[in-house]
Amino acid sequence: MPTLVSIFDKPGDVVTVITKLKKRGFNDIESYSPAPFPEIDDALDPKPSLVRVFTLIGCLTGVVTGFAMQIWMSLDWPTKIAGKAFASIPPYVIIGFELTILFGGLLTFLGMLLTGGLYPRFGTDEHYSPRFSAEEFGVVVSCGDRDVAEVDALLRAQSAKEVSLVQ
Amino acid sequence: MTPPATAAPAMSPNAVPQDSQANVDILSVVTRGASWQWKGLLALALLGVAQAMAMLAYQTYEGLGIAGYQAPVFWAVYIVLFVFWIGIGHAGTLISAILFLFRAKWRNAINRGAEAMTVFAVLTAALFPLIHIGRLWKFYFLIPYPNQRGLWVNFKSPLVWDVFAVNTYMTISIVFFYVGLVPDFAIARDRTTGVRKFFYSLLALGWQGKSSQWKAHNRTVLHLSGLATPLVLSVHSVISWDFAMSIVPGWHTTIFAPYFVAGAVFGGFAMVLVVMIPVRRIYGLEAYITDYHLDNMSRFILLTSTICGYAYAMEYFIAWYSGVEFEQTAFWLRAFGPYWFSTWCMIIFNAALPQLLWFKKLRTNVPFLFVLCVLINIGMWFERYVIIISSLSREYIPAAWGLYIPSFAELSILAGSFCWFSMFFLLFLKGGPIIAIYEIKELIIHERAHGGAH
Repeated sequence: MPTLVSIFDKPGDVVTVITKLKKRGFNDIESYSPAPFPEIDDALDPKPSLVRVFTLIGCLTGVVTGFAMQIWMSLDWPTKIAGKAFASIPPYVIIGFELTILFGGLLTFLGMLLTGGLYPRFGTDEHYSPRFSAEEFGVVVSCGDRDVAEVDALLRAQSAKEVSLVQ
Repeated sequence: MTPPATAAPAMSPNAVPQDSQANVDILSVVTRGASWQWKGLLALALLGVAQAMAMLAYQTYEGLGIAGYQAPVFWAVYIVLFVFWIGIGHAGTLISAILFLFRAKWRNAINRGAEAMTVFAVLTAALFPLIHIGRLWKFYFLIPYPNQRGLWVNFKSPLVWDVFAVNTYMTISIVFFYVGLVPDFAIARDRTTGVRKFFYSLLALGWQGKSSQWKAHNRTVLHLSGLATPLVLSVHSVISWDFAMSIVPGWHTTIFAPYFVAGAVFGGFAMVLVVMIPVRRIYGLEAYITDYHLDNMSRFILLTSTICGYAYAMEYFIAWYSGVEFEQTAFWLRAFGPYWFSTWCMIIFNAALPQLLWFKKLRTNVPFLFVLCVLINIGMWFERYVIIISSLSREYIPAAWGLYIPSFAELSILAGSFCWFSMFFLLFLKGGPIIAIYEIKELIIHERAHGGAH
């Protein structure tokens, strides 16, 4: 399948070109960006990141763990301290809160690794270029043989600096 | 740097494009050979760490008797240092999380340095409860773990809250720091060779700036900021409750949590400047850390200094207004008792001198800022010294009063803690980008795309 690698200077152009390509039905698109530009990510995939779910699960697990741990441990060997109930909620809020943050933060990190496909490895994508970690943007489109001319024209019309065809 | 092999190199006349100036400038801090100043400082830091470790070994062998603990003062310099270093860390989280949520873009130039400082300060602080308990090998008693005695820790004790708060803070700071570093490690990976490339490849986790990666990254930074913001406020509050939950005069006040948090941010911002001013000068990063950043930092210092000054005044006011003789005596003796020197250092360095920052000329005067920030750090150290030592040595019964003087062992470990922190920071200068390159690029590209209209 032919693949076109194009290079852009401005994030706005990348957004436009992705929107146009998707409108024309080309969905096999990958973009490379040197800095975070949420508009590009949303143009490619408007769904919000799944990391949210990880954070939510982490925080809920944390708060339940925190309170359950303290209450169970206090009741496991009941000791009267300062005349308070064996398992008294107000002082337990603090550790409950800390574990909410701890579990939430760790699961958020795990969510980033999983949803971003990040794991320690050598080598990069075939079409990745160190130019994309300088200041240039890359848009890589795969399309059918007879669509090459159209995609090429579309990319160039949106001020692509370079477009190259890779079989 | 080479153009991509697959994207036909002959497509354009300038087939080898210029690397980003930000990459070149900031990565050069890492990749250029170590200067003799850097080596000298690292050697000094290592020496300091070595002597403190030797002293710690001696103290562990001999017992806490060689620390200057004297009845009734059994919380001393080690606890002062613990509170001090945890406080230093707070500026990093404030800059990276709270200013992120407020979309204060000026943070981009300093957040990496501040985050690094946070991690290293917390790593320093976390040692002190262990050093303070003397029997280092029993530190795990603080953690609730199943044991054959069937005992659990006391969850109503602020000291146990502290364990959870500090460990959570340490973990989240490290995660936050690393998440921010991933795209920058990828930049370094693309521009280095050999062993460096090997490690940067592993650390970059295959980062390529794909939209799915940025999407996950943006969301993660947002959520970690949201989690770190209440966390940072809670950590120093919990530490203040180590004191406020007791009934010692001078400690048992409700103002402690906000007072400690403001003090922590204040001291931390001062430390960011103490560290970043020399870095900016030595590595020629004036184009990235500009007068504008120094000005903004100074405003923060001015604000938090004013809050601290207010808290100092309020402590004295409440002591007088409460009509409680013990409180009144404790505060009178702070200012005019045996620890008057520390108290006046604290008031002058933390509340009085920073008020000079009302003048714009001084806010951007680098030598002045540097000296001021060093004094603020000394003042903040003395603040904790005053709170802890003067209160403990002058409790309720005059017959039980005592006088505490730091011992040689404590001073040696005090010096060692600064060396330990500096050692990490110096190593990081050569290990990772000290300015978040991708965040700087976000601004550069944005400005270019909009013709600098912003």
